Amino acid sequence: MMKKVQKTNWILTLILFLGTVTIFFPLYMAVIIAFKQPSEMTNDVSGALSFPSRWSFDNFRQAMEVTDFWNSLGNSLLITLTTIILSILIHSIAGYVIGRGMAKKKSFRLIYLYIVSGMFVPFSILMMPLVKQTAQMGLGNRFGVILLYLVFYMPMNVLLYTGYLKNIPVALEEAADIDGASTWKTYWKIIFPMMKPMHATVAILTALGTWNDVMTPLVIMSGTGQNTLPLAQLNFQTQFGTNYNLAFASYILALIPILVFYIICQKQILNGVANGAVKG
Amino acid sequence: MSKFKGTKVMFVAVGIVMALTCLAGCARGSSGGKVEVELVSYKPEAVGAFEKIAERFNATHDDIHLTIDSPNEAMTILKTRFIREDYPDIIGIGGDINYSNFLDADLFMDISDLEEIGTVKQSYLDMDKELEFIPQEGVYALPYAANAAGILYNRDMFEEHGWEIPKTWDEFLYLCDKIESDGIQPLYLGYKDTWTCLAPWNALAVGLTDSDTCNQVNMGNTTFSAAYREVAEKMKVLLGYAEPNPYAYGYNDACTAFARGQSAMYPIGSYAIPQIKSVNPEMNIGSFTFPANEKEEDNVLNSGIDLQFCIMKDSKNKEAAYEVLRFLYEDETIQIYLDNQGGITCKEGNFEIPAELEGMRDYIEADRMADFQDHHYPSEMSVDAMIQTFLLDNGEDCVDTFLKRFDKDWKRYNRDLIRKVQQYRQETEDAE
Amino acid sequence: MKKKMTNRDKTFLAIIIPVLVLFFTFNTLPMIKGMIYSFTNYKGYGSYDYVGFRNYIDLFTDARVWKSYLFTFKYALAGTVLVNVLSLIMALGLNSKIRFKSALRGIYFVPNVLGGLVIGYIFSFLFTYILPAVGDVFNIGFLQNSILASEKYAWIGVLIVGVWQAVAMNTIIYISGLQTVPQDVYEASMLDGASKWKEFWKVTFPLVMPFVTINLVLSTKNFLMVFDQIVSLTKGGPAQSTESISYLIYKNGMDGGQFGFQSANAVIFFFVIVAISIFQMTVMNKKEEQL
Repeated sequence: MMKKVQKTNWILTLILFLGTVTIFFPLYMAVIIAFKQPSEMTNDVSGALSFPSRWSFDNFRQAMEVTDFWNSLGNSLLITLTTIILSILIHSIAGYVIGRGMAKKKSFRLIYLYIVSGMFVPFSILMMPLVKQTAQMGLGNRFGVILLYLVFYMPMNVLLYTGYLKNIPVALEEAADIDGASTWKTYWKIIFPMMKPMHATVAILTALGTWNDVMTPLVIMSGTGQNTLPLAQLNFQTQFGTNYNLAFASYILALIPILVFYIICQKQILNGVANGAVKG
Repeated sequence: MSKFKGTKVMFVAVGIVMALTCLAGCARGSSGGKVEVELVSYKPEAVGAFEKIAERFNATHDDIHLTIDSPNEAMTILKTRFIREDYPDIIGIGGDINYSNFLDADLFMDISDLEEIGTVKQSYLDMDKELEFIPQEGVYALPYAANAAGILYNRDMFEEHGWEIPKTWDEFLYLCDKIESDGIQPLYLGYKDTWTCLAPWNALAVGLTDSDTCNQVNMGNTTFSAAYREVAEKMKVLLGYAEPNPYAYGYNDACTAFARGQSAMYPIGSYAIPQIKSVNPEMNIGSFTFPANEKEEDNVLNSGIDLQFCIMKDSKNKEAAYEVLRFLYEDETIQIYLDNQGGITCKEGNFEIPAELEGMRDYIEADRMADFQDHHYPSEMSVDAMIQTFLLDNGEDCVDTFLKRFDKDWKRYNRDLIRKVQQYRQETEDAE
Repeated sequence: MKKKMTNRDKTFLAIIIPVLVLFFTFNTLPMIKGMIYSFTNYKGYGSYDYVGFRNYIDLFTDARVWKSYLFTFKYALAGTVLVNVLSLIMALGLNSKIRFKSALRGIYFVPNVLGGLVIGYIFSFLFTYILPAVGDVFNIGFLQNSILASEKYAWIGVLIVGVWQAVAMNTIIYISGLQTVPQDVYEASMLDGASKWKEFWKVTFPLVMPFVTINLVLSTKNFLMVFDQIVSLTKGGPAQSTESISYLIYKNGMDGGQFGFQSANAVIFFFVIVAISIFQMTVMNKKEEQL
């Protein structure tokens, strides 16, 4: 049979390019406002859209000071990275144990349902009791937030890992078992490396969720003097009161880290998300 | 044994997480032998003044270290911390319903043995007494600064056009019309932030209703439908003199617009002055009491405690906290605060009334003042949003709808309180 | 009777028990506590009494709570439909024979990596200042007033931002769904001379049906829990017209001294979410079987 070679659809390409305006326009506005001075802010359209008269980083420097940028960035990094690493380690082995156990025992099937149903629990119902509980346990801080993320992302991640596990034949483990290797060893030596594509997906989905989350740090950490990047935006909003330019500089600062990360790892991120959808 | 290694590693991993968390939790505490005193203030706009005050305090005290925090959304943060039972030593809050609630929850220490209490103007101590749901023994707050709300105006603009300060509601309307005919917008309102709706509301309400309206309603002597009708109607009238669609602009926008001369007047409290001056430091601001009535002698200035300090009952550093309060109440410290924030001090003595509030002096000196009515509204009832809803409602019977809802919601949100107050009255009657 | 536990079983238990303890402590336990608080008049601090079902009875008579449910459902319904239609169209476009495919895909995903709070602040400025200015120039009446200031239309402003961010994720999921459709299916249909439109409904759509299910469930849940956009765009206003359930629970539960009452609200909200998710999945499963 003749293979039909499709021609490039240029019209569609053009339309899609024009469509990116919806993405770029708000970001463009944010950038130029961040560089302008308050006196340059006008109410007419051409003035609002035009470039700033001078590209000066003063606003950014000031915004960094006000929001204690490096500290907030550090906290965001610490929380996100620790959550990712612990998620991959703990959720993957939990997924493995549940996935394999489920095949043989009903009790593990119940455990699976118990944990995965946690996906439907809205944070709102946990929020108020958790505020009290974490405080009583001395967890009203960054580490409490990490621990909570570990629990909040467990349902989704366990679902992803057990789903992926179905593709890995049990025979491999049984062979290792016969060789006298312990289950623990077999897992880390053989299974864990084989789940690599899923680790990437879990890392990305967890990272996107935790990095931008406002609510958890807001109720758990507020008043401790520590901020995450989004929390700093919320907390310093009034101090920007009369100066939109400063505020926008701080927005840009908050957006840059994740944008840079996204540009670098774009391919992996898109693949990871797609992977999660197919397997989930 | 190797098969148990797995479990061990697992426990170690969880253990490390726990240990790290504990470390972070335990890291806070005393620092180098000094007594740590933490003060959380609910006024983020005063952060500059507080930094200066804390610096001076720490420079003169070797044994105590004072930290002052003034976070954004401080009330939410404070309440979240109370839920966590993580109390600062001192809190700086307004004399409002929050104070009543915290006091009712038994969170504050009795500070009647602090000698500074003797230097507080009596009217402010009385104001705090009125905020107690159930009359308490002792003193639980040190009133610090009061504010006054009414109308702020652009003094230069007024002089240029020869406009006169109105003394009655009719004069006020006449003035607004005149300003409008001169091509200037009379008022600017920042109703996107719902609480700003309360500024003119309070200023009108003190003039048009009794100061203990809420109490009267609780006792069943009157209804809000009767007491607030005129206030509600006059709130509607103000809209006609403001920028179109005031719900698009927040408090910050309104301060900025007024500072830039986009309106001649701005119905807000003295607390807005620093914010306005941060936009336009040169601005010549004047003020007058809201002329709510047909007769000048019926007008009352809206003034309440803007900032007062309370020591938490839980504080382990009573002596150090007292020392902080003493320092805060020194004339010099008060002056630092007033220079930065404006307002009126609650302490007896010769303090200047800020130039911007000169127009309210007669009322202040004659003690023709009444507290903000919203200091008695429960915050979860969100009266501010109700007012905004009412203002947006263009229906014919919008006033009735609003007032009916006010009465109905009031009963629901104050149910526990009304019961408590009645129970208390019952008990005291039984005792007699 | 009982078989002796193998070493493998022991390892499994040793792993699953701490995990379960962790999950129980920070998910199930607070949920139970929340349910208990829902029967009190607790403010969050101070003393409290048990009030029986009063909070639940109040919930049903509270106009503000009804309003927030109404808003949240309206928002979630409109958002879910819009997002899924838009992202399916986007996915079809981005999956067809075009140039710069990966660059375009990359650009369209950007909104999803950006935080809802900061995006909300940026859009809030656009809605308040830029769009009215545009409206003034071209004399477009409905643009001249900030959409966020209108009691009737503010929710649309929130919706625009929510959809802007959510389309990205769903598009990627649909693209991966489209890629599972084998090419020869299309070739077969092309031979039959089916039109593009028919081809989509008869061939493509049934095959990506499982992905529609995923997307519907995911986006409904996310839209129902809207919080960040509310905080940054409207704070629930004007006239409480955009108060989402999550926002109301946070606002009045933490700040307003309604810890107990809002706990009851959260409990109801939980059951609502579970019910909707189960409903969606059963309906969609039936649909999938039919096709």
